[in-house]
Amino acid sequence: MASHPLDGHPAHLEHHFVSSEQQFDAAKMGMWLFLITEILLFSGMFVLYTVYRSWHPEVFALVSEVLDWRMGGFNTLVLLASSFTVALGIHYAQKNDNRKLIINLVLTLIFALIFLVVKYFEYTGKFAHGIYPGAAFDPHGIVDGLDYAKYNVPYAAQFFSIYFVMTGIHAFHVIVGIGVFIWITLRASRGEFSAAYYTPVELTGLYWHLVDIIWIFLFPLLYLI
Amino acid sequence: MSQAEHHIVPIKTLTAVIAVLGVLTIVTVAAAQFDLGSFNVPIALLIATIKASFVISIFMGLKYGNKTNALILAVGLIMVVVFVTFILLDTEFRGDTSATESGTIMQSEQTMPAAESH
Repeated sequence: MASHPLDGHPAHLEHHFVSSEQQFDAAKMGMWLFLITEILLFSGMFVLYTVYRSWHPEVFALVSEVLDWRMGGFNTLVLLASSFTVALGIHYAQKNDNRKLIINLVLTLIFALIFLVVKYFEYTGKFAHGIYPGAAFDPHGIVDGLDYAKYNVPYAAQFFSIYFVMTGIHAFHVIVGIGVFIWITLRASRGEFSAAYYTPVELTGLYWHLVDIIWIFLFPLLYLI
Repeated sequence: MSQAEHHIVPIKTLTAVIAVLGVLTIVTVAAAQFDLGSFNVPIALLIATIKASFVISIFMGLKYGNKTNALILAVGLIMVVVFVTFILLDTEFRGDTSATESGTIMQSEQTMPAAESH
């Protein structure tokens, strides 16, 4: 491991920490605090969903069938798989297996991109039939013998506004995650991580698992019930 | 000085967790094919909560590491419960306390079809 030029402690260890262990714990706690703010951000939107659903349960039950559970379910499995590869990556980082760490980071990136591609086809499929967030909501057209005009009922627009905002902000988190994972993968390919220092991988993993958890709740609430 | 003493989650455990998560995803889709009435939402939320618990405890390692982070999460989740509960105390009973007629606002609106609620 590279040592600090002056006093011989590990290069990754900042002066104000007693040990690598303390630095790791502090970084991880900071990440958990950030994740709480993320949970609170999304909980605002879950509260919105809860209030509108309790006011208009029959509308939500009707219009949620517009969302394709096969695409949503497939994306759920894709995100779960990406969480699995992140966890595997950290496992291999802890075992000093840099090659397998990189393989798992790249797999995670691929899963994240698949998620976004599916989301793209979902969004454009909805836009093609006038299902937009907000005032532009104007469902029309016939898909597989199903006339979208029947979804033009009061409060259906609210459901789809909630759908687009919640999944949109979630997708934004996926895009940010992709950016961070590219950076982490590049650093891993330069051999910067080892069992002695893998804090950035651990923190990015925590973020990614949270993005996965948000989707675990979004999928049944929006697509299934 | 090294992080080698950190708990390394065995691959067997990680594989078991992803298998459970996959099965629970299928279960939640299957459960949604049946109309369980007022149980639809609670069952979907229950399955999602179980899945999230597996991700948090094993993948995120909350089960193994520093318990301070578990405390931070618990406080955050309590705040979410407070958030949801107090909003619903308003939206579910809006106007009821100042109503001069018997019954809830919702009920009196139903007897006046022209009235547009919310």
